[in-house]
Amino acid sequence: MLDVIDLNIEFHDHITPETVVYDFDLHMEEGEIVGLVGESGSGKTMSALSVAGLLSRKNMKKRGTIVFNGVDILNCKRSELRKLQGNDIAMVFQEPMTSLDPLKKIGYQIEESLVIHMDLDKEERRKRVIEALKDVELDNAEFIMEQYPHELSGGMRQRVMIAAALICEPKLLICDEPTTALDVTIQAQIIDLLKKVNKDHGTAILFISHDLALVKSLCSRVLVMYKGNIVEAGSSNEVFYNPGNDYTKALVSAIPKLEKKTGEKEEDNKDKKDKNILLKVDSLNAFYPVGDSLFKRGDRRKQILHDISFEVMEGEILGLVGESGCGKSTLGKSILSMVKYTQGNITHYSEKPQMIFQDPYSSLNPARKTGWILEEPLRIEGKLSDSERNIKVVEMLKKVGLDENFTERYPRELSGGQRQRVCIALSLMMDPKLIIADEPVSALDVTIQAQIMDLMLKLNREMGISMIFISHDLRVVYKMCDRVMVMKEGRIVESGTNEEVYFSPKHEYTKMLLNAAEKY
Amino acid sequence: MRFVLRKIATMLITVLLVSFFVFLAFQVIPGDPATAMLGTNATKEKVEALREQLGLNRPLMIRYFEWLFSFFFGDMGTSYSYGVSVRSMLAGKVPITLSLTLISFILIILISIPLGIETAEHEDGIVAGIIGGLNQVVMAIPPFFIGILLTYFLGLVLQLFTPGGYVSYKTDFFGFLYYLLFPAIAIALPKAAMNMKLLKSSVLKEAKLDYVRTAYSRGNSTKDVLYKHVLKNALIPVITFLGMTLADIVAGSLIVEQVFSIPGIGRLLITSISNRDYPVVSAIIAIVAFIVIIINFLVDILYLIIDPRTRG
Repeated sequence: MLDVIDLNIEFHDHITPETVVYDFDLHMEEGEIVGLVGESGSGKTMSALSVAGLLSRKNMKKRGTIVFNGVDILNCKRSELRKLQGNDIAMVFQEPMTSLDPLKKIGYQIEESLVIHMDLDKEERRKRVIEALKDVELDNAEFIMEQYPHELSGGMRQRVMIAAALICEPKLLICDEPTTALDVTIQAQIIDLLKKVNKDHGTAILFISHDLALVKSLCSRVLVMYKGNIVEAGSSNEVFYNPGNDYTKALVSAIPKLEKKTGEKEEDNKDKKDKNILLKVDSLNAFYPVGDSLFKRGDRRKQILHDISFEVMEGEILGLVGESGCGKSTLGKSILSMVKYTQGNITHYSEKPQMIFQDPYSSLNPARKTGWILEEPLRIEGKLSDSERNIKVVEMLKKVGLDENFTERYPRELSGGQRQRVCIALSLMMDPKLIIADEPVSALDVTIQAQIMDLMLKLNREMGISMIFISHDLRVVYKMCDRVMVMKEGRIVESGTNEEVYFSPKHEYTKMLLNAAEKY
Repeated sequence: MRFVLRKIATMLITVLLVSFFVFLAFQVIPGDPATAMLGTNATKEKVEALREQLGLNRPLMIRYFEWLFSFFFGDMGTSYSYGVSVRSMLAGKVPITLSLTLISFILIILISIPLGIETAEHEDGIVAGIIGGLNQVVMAIPPFFIGILLTYFLGLVLQLFTPGGYVSYKTDFFGFLYYLLFPAIAIALPKAAMNMKLLKSSVLKEAKLDYVRTAYSRGNSTKDVLYKHVLKNALIPVITFLGMTLADIVAGSLIVEQVFSIPGIGRLLITSISNRDYPVVSAIIAIVAFIVIIINFLVDILYLIIDPRTRG
């Protein structure tokens, strides 16, 4: 059905052309599910967009052949290509919020492909849309059709995207990181849905992801891409359990595993028993006012946190897991008094904790050099002289695995991993005893993720810094933390040591999360 | 619906505040109208008597509410300079200025929207290049100067219209509109240039977003993607700009009227200011302010129609 042979993609923006995809080969049969794995910048999305005829940019050259059902995608007329797009080849993208037109109703967006490719009247189209919504397990189709994207949840939006992609019953569905922006339980549902679509309609799926474990659970075959090259290809099990290429090996070993840790960690925990308390949170409630207006102070409040109590001990890493919207970030902010309406007691037994945020791209001022950003807290404090500040900046850069050359660089000149290292260095500038890290590795590639986690563990061990580690990713939390708290809808539903929570979970919700995480 | 009601409430409060400030401004400006009317040689008694007659000696708030109520029932007071009712002075002039404003506004839209789309669609085309260059120049020229240029080139050289030959709408409505077209161009050009640039960059910014890729993936043609998806999204900042521009256009009208000898409220405002004819000045300012407030209200409503996310 699909044959891609020697696809090369080059950019001619600069004097020397830059090749982003080298000799990409892909053969797909009808009804097959193939995974395409790689980190950001590996060329996987570019290759897939080329297959869908969607990659066109100034100064770009594509060589090789892409043949889909006898149509030469790279050389055919635009009109011929358009006949395929949405009809035979459909796409689902990563971020369902931004991938849907914010100003158009859901119904319109789902039926758009039908309007373009099929000659159906309004009633027939409506029927198809309702059917498609039911197919992706969205009840209440008539209601959803009249909604706008911002009125739906993330999982619902991705279902809508899939319904829209499947409306013309395409032969090939290309999914570009379709679950990356979603919670684990929703992710599991979407994967199951894709499996069902494949089984019921025989739709072939090209599934692009950075997550090898996820790909393994869905795809029969896998291609691994690294820096524009396919470095490994084969059946999923082969690639996953017996990787031949070094990069694939690194990729597989970078996935944190949910296996019982060895005894050494247990001893660590015992040591920490008699350590001091750093932070004590006692029946904390947090609210957001609803319906504030010019005339009326919002008297209705939405409670985000309910009766949260816990302690953080010196030297420990406390994990906080939960899905988006459960209040875990609000809890982190409340501890730093960044939430306006709270009740309860928060007692700090050390200086104020520092914070590390999820997105290193937007957390650093783009107009300032790294050195300036790093010394800012010291400058504000005003205790140290210029040269003392510089010494400290370099010292902290070295602690996070960078060197003094980085002080002269702007954030845009750094990679994602380097930026997060700078953010960590920034949090270290005031010699904190406690760091609150809010999804610090979620925006990073798996291999980078592993490096950053190792760095944070090292800082914990060597400098004795305690952390509250907030994440939606149970595997990451398991690797990082000594103790875990599971949050749901603003409440802590379960807490305990890693072993207790992960291997004998008591609460249904914890079991469900673990189930979803283990499955994929 | 609750949202619309709230907008209406906000609008009414704004009207009250603005009218109060307009009123207050003329109370605190140094210089007494009674003295101005009688001349500096007038005796103190005479001035006091006139102040009494004009009601200037009563408490501020009372005078304000009296002024406001009578204003809304059409009584805008009596001109200090001419002794006739302000209403009769403005009656024939407000429609002229409003027509000029409206024509300018329509011109801005007619010029900037198609050109903005064209230059965004063919970003590297010849048309976009020429327009882009012209745009910079036009943006920098103030309307009254464009007016002078138009009077000379279109009026005197090409003789498309007779400079100074204003035609009243009472005698020849289409002649009236035709004459207003030229001052309207002068007012509209700089704003249209800005708006075009804004729309262009807004379209180009939207075109990079994910939903555009989705639209292409469904087999839409470039035109369909532009007209069905991008344009509506790209118009949101443009509407904001047009709303804010309106006050400028009204102010621009008042000045350009001078260049084209149009008997709108512009000249009346200027003479009234120099004569300290407060009832006239405050009436004009209040009318302009109310128009701007109403337009802003309409812009807010337009948002509600276009952008479902604002329907909170």
